[in-house]
Amino acid sequence: MTDPKETINIENVVASTGIGQELDLQSVAMDLEGADYDPEQFPGLVYRTQDPKSAALIFRSGKIVCTGAKSTDDVHESLRIVFDKLRELSIKVEDDPEIVVQNIVTSADLGRQLNLNAIAIGLGLENIEYEPEQFPGLVYRLDDPEVVALLFGSGKLVITGGKEPKDAEHAVDKITSRLEELGLLD
Amino acid sequence: MTNQRTTRDGSHGTESVPTQRSRESTDEDHGCPECNGDLVTDEDRGETTCGECGLVVEEDGIDHGPEWRAFNAQEQDEKSRVGAPTTNMMHDKGLSTNIGWQDKDAYGNTLSGRQRRKMQRLRKWNERFRTRNSKERNLKQALGEIERMASAFGLPDSVRETASVIYRRALGEDLLPGRSIEGVATSALYAAARQANTPRSLDEVASVSRVDRGEIARTYRYVARELSLEVAPTDPASYVPRFCSDLELSGDVERRARDLLAAAADAGITSGKSPVGLAAASVYAAALLTNERVTQNEVSTVANVSEVTIRNRYHEILDAGGEPGVEA
Repeated sequence: MTDPKETINIENVVASTGIGQELDLQSVAMDLEGADYDPEQFPGLVYRTQDPKSAALIFRSGKIVCTGAKSTDDVHESLRIVFDKLRELSIKVEDDPEIVVQNIVTSADLGRQLNLNAIAIGLGLENIEYEPEQFPGLVYRLDDPEVVALLFGSGKLVITGGKEPKDAEHAVDKITSRLEELGLLD
Repeated sequence: MTNQRTTRDGSHGTESVPTQRSRESTDEDHGCPECNGDLVTDEDRGETTCGECGLVVEEDGIDHGPEWRAFNAQEQDEKSRVGAPTTNMMHDKGLSTNIGWQDKDAYGNTLSGRQRRKMQRLRKWNERFRTRNSKERNLKQALGEIERMASAFGLPDSVRETASVIYRRALGEDLLPGRSIEGVATSALYAAARQANTPRSLDEVASVSRVDRGEIARTYRYVARELSLEVAPTDPASYVPRFCSDLELSGDVERRARDLLAAAADAGITSGKSPVGLAAASVYAAALLTNERVTQNEVSTVANVSEVTIRNRYHEILDAGGEPGVEA
């Protein structure tokens, strides 16, 4: 049996940062090649980097959110590209603006089918949310680490809300040990 | 004096009626404590016994009915020990006074014009007094809404009562601000119906509610979490009898559908699948197996799920039920 932790794969990393000055998005959009800015659709300017693949949302307040990256390194890398691009437009950006990771979305696979009904009862109806009429997954909110796990009948799971990659590993550990305790992982 | 005592006893009796009822039903669920046989209640002797082994489970039961026999309406009123039961389904629990609309006195004579105008004024102020603050007006509207939707579904009083209590708790714990009265009332009814094992699907609920499905689902999740209602996931089998009777299918089909659902659950193919879809597909599959013709279209109309869902599920259900190779 493979360790479910080995199947952990980071799907998305969201980080935020700021350049500490207000921007005129209209003129930035004109000068920055490949930028999407449609204030009727979305108030931010969207700039997509290709390598690493990610999307940076640049707001009028000078705050930047980077999403879609596959690792924390990629987030830093793509934000560095964004900063360089802004500097090319002679917008002052300090050397190393603080980058805060807000959310990491991870997927994993327990490797076998799950009986969500039994798990719902086993984990305690007060701790989980399972409404097959509304959503096929079982929502399990953990306190430590503070993440939300979605368990699916196929045995796959999605862990979201973590601030660092370690959180997902802890969560998978916790979930597998809880399910083994309950005898729900044959 | 005696009369007063009996009245008090009587009102005590009414209060215990719901608990008594619920205990009886759990007795039925559990059966005989010795052999798990079915319990039989002998009302003449006031005894509850086991039909299998004869164990007396309860004796000297209390008769909650009115005193003695009554031969006409007047005697019935005189001998009744109880008034109307208090109910959570009314905003004042049914405890307030209503001034009749007929403008007649106790003898049935029409009132004079002067008295009529007085009653009109009293009626107005009584109505204003009954719903003094916004909370009571809120309750009045919500409970009316619950009543309306429950009637549309033909849900029994016990479910309405539960829904009303859930709504009252939501109101008491300040869950209303930011949500609509109709939304919370609808989700209270949805939760109550599920707790009573007579679930109505979200689509059905949305069809009689004044709010849309998305808002009901959101409000329901919020209310269920905040009040820790702990509603277990719906058992698909609880939809089967209703679908079968709507489609005018025999008891045979119903039994077959239940068996198929049990087999599907054992095979572990029901996780994360919508219970409504599973129920509809099992009814369709069971009808095929018993050679009673229904079309996927008919089932989909009754169950409010798409034909595609039925097609996808019923193959899986047939495979799990060990009935492969059956084709429509």
